[in-house]
Amino acid sequence: MNIIACIKQVPDTEAQIRVKADGSGIEETGIKWVMNAYDEYGVEEALRLKEKNGGEVTVVSLGPARVMETLRTALAMGADKGIHISDPALEDADAYVTASALAAAIKQTPYDIIFCGQRAIDDDAGQVGSILAELLGIPQITVVTKLDVDGTVAKAIRPIEGAQLLIQASLPCLVTTQKGLNEPRYASLPGIMKAKKKPVDVKDAASLGVALDKKLRVLRFVSPPARAAGKIISGDDPAAKAASLAKLLREEAKVI
Amino acid sequence: MAKDVWIIAEQRDGVLRKISFELASTARKLADELGEEVCAVLLGNGVTAGAKDLAKYGVDKIFVADDAIFAPYTTDAHSEAVAKLVKEKEPAIILLGASSQGKDLSSRLAGKLATGLATDCTDVKIAAGKMVAVRPVYAGKCFVEVQSATNPQLASLRPNVFPVVEKAGAGEVIATEIAIDPAQLKTKVLEVQKDASGRVDLTEALVIVSGGRGMGGPGGYAALEELAGILNATVGASRAAVDSGWRPQTDQVGQTGKVVSPNLYIACGISGAIQHLAGMSSSKYIVAINKDSEAPIFSKADYGIVEDLFKVIPELTKECKILMG
Amino acid sequence: MEQAKFYVGHEGRQIFWNVESFEALLFIFAAVAILIFGYGIYQRWQLWKAIGKPEVRNDKILQRLNLLLKYGFFQVKTWRQAYPGIMHGLIFFGFFILIFGTFFDSLEFHVTEPLGFIFLIGKFYLYFSLAMEIFGLAILVGIVMALYRRYITKPDFLGYKGENDNQPDDAIVLLLIGGIIITGFMLEALRITATMPPWEVWSFGGWWLAKAFAGMSEENVKMLHKIAWWTHSLLTFGFIGYIPYSRLLHIITSPANIFLASLQPKGYLEPIRDFETAESFGVGKLEDFTWKQIFDSDACTRCGRCQEGCPAYLSGKPLSPKKVIQDLKNYWLAKAKTVVAAQKAAAAGKEGAIDQAGLDKVLPGEVVDLHELWACTNCMYCMEHCPVLIEHIPKIIGMRQYKVLTEADFAPELQLTYRNMENNSNPWGMGAHTRADWAKELDVKILADDPNVEYLFYVGCSGSFDERGKKVAVSLSRILQAAGVSFGILGTEEGCCGDSAMRGGNEYLYQAMAQANIETMNGYGVKKIITMCPHGYNALKKDYPHFGGNFEVYHHTEIIADLLAKGKITLKKQLTGRFTYHDSCFLGRYNDIFTQPRTILQAVPGLELVEMERNRTKAFCCGAGGGRMWMEEDQGERINDMRTDQAIAAQADTVAVACPFCLTMLSDGIKDRQKEESMAALDIAEIVWSAMGMEEKE
Repeated sequence: MNIIACIKQVPDTEAQIRVKADGSGIEETGIKWVMNAYDEYGVEEALRLKEKNGGEVTVVSLGPARVMETLRTALAMGADKGIHISDPALEDADAYVTASALAAAIKQTPYDIIFCGQRAIDDDAGQVGSILAELLGIPQITVVTKLDVDGTVAKAIRPIEGAQLLIQASLPCLVTTQKGLNEPRYASLPGIMKAKKKPVDVKDAASLGVALDKKLRVLRFVSPPARAAGKIISGDDPAAKAASLAKLLREEAKVI
Repeated sequence: MAKDVWIIAEQRDGVLRKISFELASTARKLADELGEEVCAVLLGNGVTAGAKDLAKYGVDKIFVADDAIFAPYTTDAHSEAVAKLVKEKEPAIILLGASSQGKDLSSRLAGKLATGLATDCTDVKIAAGKMVAVRPVYAGKCFVEVQSATNPQLASLRPNVFPVVEKAGAGEVIATEIAIDPAQLKTKVLEVQKDASGRVDLTEALVIVSGGRGMGGPGGYAALEELAGILNATVGASRAAVDSGWRPQTDQVGQTGKVVSPNLYIACGISGAIQHLAGMSSSKYIVAINKDSEAPIFSKADYGIVEDLFKVIPELTKECKILMG
Repeated sequence: MEQAKFYVGHEGRQIFWNVESFEALLFIFAAVAILIFGYGIYQRWQLWKAIGKPEVRNDKILQRLNLLLKYGFFQVKTWRQAYPGIMHGLIFFGFFILIFGTFFDSLEFHVTEPLGFIFLIGKFYLYFSLAMEIFGLAILVGIVMALYRRYITKPDFLGYKGENDNQPDDAIVLLLIGGIIITGFMLEALRITATMPPWEVWSFGGWWLAKAFAGMSEENVKMLHKIAWWTHSLLTFGFIGYIPYSRLLHIITSPANIFLASLQPKGYLEPIRDFETAESFGVGKLEDFTWKQIFDSDACTRCGRCQEGCPAYLSGKPLSPKKVIQDLKNYWLAKAKTVVAAQKAAAAGKEGAIDQAGLDKVLPGEVVDLHELWACTNCMYCMEHCPVLIEHIPKIIGMRQYKVLTEADFAPELQLTYRNMENNSNPWGMGAHTRADWAKELDVKILADDPNVEYLFYVGCSGSFDERGKKVAVSLSRILQAAGVSFGILGTEEGCCGDSAMRGGNEYLYQAMAQANIETMNGYGVKKIITMCPHGYNALKKDYPHFGGNFEVYHHTEIIADLLAKGKITLKKQLTGRFTYHDSCFLGRYNDIFTQPRTILQAVPGLELVEMERNRTKAFCCGAGGGRMWMEEDQGERINDMRTDQAIAAQADTVAVACPFCLTMLSDGIKDRQKEESMAALDIAEIVWSAMGMEEKE
């Protein structure tokens, strides 16, 4: 089976995010870069499919030179080879351009199933997977918490509000992975050492023939209003405090 | 020339979901600024009857494609149908809900229509005749203002953020035939398993109501379950509660339990020792309810109430019920 | 010399009286016994050589001989348990003296008398006889004590989870020795009956026993004497021959093990050096151990002192250090025998003739149960109390390394902990950029701003991120500032010490973190370090030197005790209450710091210090070491709750600790036991700062 897992290198979830003074992006100094957590489920699922059915796992990532470290992590987990799409012209690619580049790279290799994380924890956009599936002309099952691949059919559980769908798609298809799908393995030390020698193809935009015009423009980054250090809600009685809290959660935090 | 603001309405079992009204109200606001119309696309099976409800919220035209092929939702059928309509009528802006279905559909459409999509937006406005969307990134640690370079400009709106405003629209229901070849559909919904509890697993929950040592026993959790029901939340527990046998180990949040990252974590009777924090510190918002004002959790909470939790929770449940409608 | 030639003032006895004619036979039997003994040792030697990586343990001979004297001869560790200590001492010293007896007899008979002089004569002979008597009886008492202990009292020392692990060999050896002593007294009594010299009252045992044979005819006495003498001799030769084939082997392996002991500081762990080329890491197969690590298991006498204080064992986990060692021993014996047989077969040209099936086991999981392997808190009770200096912990860590590094098969909670360390340099995964937030209001120097300080205060993860731990860091900073100590912190440049990763088997991660810290510290020219956490203290002091981190490391109790002694701080405020001090394993057993914390507490006015039953070297672990802080305890009782019970039993209202892990564990224990209203756990730094009475100045 030929399995592809797309991965993205993102800042660690605990990293301090500071918006640049000119609003053009975030400060990158001192950031610890890691594999997007949702992509890890994809790599793990890919490895499990390989262990069950035989075949090969290729990991693909788009980004600057530092992305190589994350590709090596995936290779250390057990992936067989990597594709690194690296080009300054793609530095601030939007979802469409990213997906186009991935599609161009992936078209060059045979595949039965493609994994993407359901979203990346930096932009929280969750588009690349679907656009990639569209460009490749294959079906998609998104936000998958359980997967069964049998021959040419993939069956997956996909949670929605108040229910779970059991969806079937014919291969080749694209699956975006959600927390709970599996427990990503820890790379063993022999795995880490072997990963250093596994092949990684480096490609640039020109060789892939990717159109660089973005569909979504980022106008500017904005810091959120400084979060109050945490307020102890005052009130005459528990009922009053509860009412204040509910209001704050709805209007200020916007979480209910 | 692209014009008009469209919404892709969402329904479940023939009933329009609340997000559809939020979309309608927002679309109306944008359309008013542009001096254009609001059109809705409603795909489903047996949805024609309820379609005109959208008129209450400012929708001028409702394109209804009523066919068994559209229920249950599949990416292929809906994206194909919408794409066809879009190519025919060329809207300028399309709003969808950032719900499970909406996220799936909007991103596929972005690919199909080769256009820009802003997902999970918390605000949209018009600037120089085009839509500017504001959306959170880095788990809400900052925001970006984005704009599509092409038409239609797509945006999915975060549910429960945009107000529902009643404003009469023309409300013309237009039955629309969209030919979809079933052979082209490569995904199939085999089964819809309704959650008995309706509860999402802790690790995926967007809202968690959690109880610790302060719960005093298993009985107290009934109050938390009730609140969780209103908020569509999952109930969690600290290690102390699990150790005492009040809750199962699968409910444990913490360093040696589950690590969760909900939008809202309500900690009831939990002191907030670091082993518990390690399991939920990346929650976007933390609420602490504890009668001990010295409890370390208050230093991490965004909102805290120093009070007997059993007095607060029922009141909070009441308030939330009113708010959630 | 003829018996008749002795008289009062010229006391002695005829050596080999009545049995001189058997002397030649005696030599033959002796030779046979020695051959059997020698062959047995030779076979064992082959087994010792058969498996295991090389290790140098024959350096610094003088130091080793010193260890042998202290632990092998004076047996200082066995005395720590009174009953078995005395029991073994009686047998051991009894034999030691009695062997001199036999030696002197032979020496006089074969060497000095032919040369014309005897020395077992007169007063010397009388004292000599008395000594023989006393020590012979001592052995008998020891044997009776041993039989009583093993077969009547049946303590859990000599078993596992309530089931005793007696083997037939245990009884045989005791009865054999008993038989040798009893026949020895008998033949002495019979000789005395026959020869009746009045001075033999000095041999009071034989003298008393002689009364039983008083009425017998001289012929019968002499015949009985010959029988007793032969029995005695054959039993003794049997004993010698039996040594290599029984638990008596410990006569050789235990002292040998002491001689071969590690001369490294306590708790030393050999780092893995080769990550690049090795195929496997840690100990997966028996061959991955060094020969010495395997030899350890042959020195084990199943005394159970390790088990008696093991917190995992006592709290109902399946781990027993004794069982781990015995399981390894049994597997080694089975495997080594086939290895030796295969080598012989190969030498004889018959390759592959020996069946090695079932003997290629992966130790962690197939020989040592994984629940046992992971239950260890690394508290070092086992190693501290093992009388033959077996090193249990490096074996456990070696096997953990195999599970983590080679197989990547270990508890998910540990996975999370390791990832958090990788990404944010602390086990809780708190944002690394918040590491110095605790010090913001305190006017504490950051080395990046000014590296000219005398001490680096290495705060550690708890002091930096845990709300409770931060209070300790703050208290300590205030004490140091008040005392005018020049210190600074690394702030966000500080990284986790890596101790939990190391002891949890993740040597690779540990080394990465250690090297990062060392580079930063050396970059600032750090020479002296103060730590508030014993785990950090131990890692920085003993493990960091492997990677170029050579610093003078102090724990805060050492520093505070010193400041008190020099009068740089004074404790003026009364803190009434019953305090008990909980010895941290990594401060106490690992680093022998027992006195300073107590001295500090006793300097606090009004403070009443009581001791828990298990204190100092016998202290009971809080349960957090060995990576256990990050793992779920799913079997038996909670270790920290048990320790809390011990504090409650001492009727203490405050448990003083010197470690953030212990602080967390005991605070939790107090909550679990619902004693928050009446009990509290406090760090010594907090107690001292409070007693300094300077808080009002804030």
